Amino acid sequence: MIPFEALLPYGVIIIMFGVAGTGMSAAKLLREGGNKPRVHRDAWDKMMMERDMRLTKEYRKQSDEPMAPEEFKTSSVWRASRIWDD
Amino acid sequence: MTTSKTNPREPHALPYYITDPTPLPSHIPSVPEIGATSAPLLSASYFVGARCAPYNEDFMLCRSQSRSGEIDCLKEGRRVTRCAISVLEDINKNCQAEFRKHWGCLENENHDLSRCRLDEAPLNACVAKFLNLTKVIPNSDGTPINDYETPSFFKNKVKAKYEQ
Repeated sequence: MIPFEALLPYGVIIIMFGVAGTGMSAAKLLREGGNKPRVHRDAWDKMMMERDMRLTKEYRKQSDEPMAPEEFKTSSVWRASRIWDD
Repeated sequence: MTTSKTNPREPHALPYYITDPTPLPSHIPSVPEIGATSAPLLSASYFVGARCAPYNEDFMLCRSQSRSGEIDCLKEGRRVTRCAISVLEDINKNCQAEFRKHWGCLENENHDLSRCRLDEAPLNACVAKFLNLTKVIPNSDGTPINDYETPSFFKNKVKAKYEQ
């Protein structure tokens, strides 16, 4: 019979893995508003998520209104890069 | 500058953001933009395609034939927007609960339609009943997605799961 003191380190290791995994999962859910994180985002998904942000002002918050508020029409942001002319 | 024939412009990592708060000129009729975000739009996309196919094809044809793209096709674009808004309004009026369930599932599953078939079936049924719009995969033979033939090994399991 193995004394219980010998199994305590295993318990500690398992509990630490559990806490780390639960903490990671909880942090991700907190960030994504209760959903699983988006993976394999391509340029289309990034563009749509940026549009969602402009519409709802919150990360990954969705809205199913048929019509957008008036300020959405002029809230677009384009990216350009500078060409240095030395 | 490290420019050459093969690299005419030096790459830069820092972007430069451009915003433009001026509205459209007043001679262009003003049309509300679609207020649906990505998941509801994906969920309703096949119904928008079913109702708005003529306007969408008009716009795509005009855009491919014009030299400047969307600028010459604003009228067709307005029609597309108005039709899509009408579809979303009707779905919200008649089938809002099923719609919200389906796009809630999509938002959880990385916008993968194949993982949300269970929530899609009641939405398809409700929309077919109230709006007479059916979801049809383009360039296919037209069988509804929930009636696809399953391989015989899985047939009994899958049939029991999807039979409502």
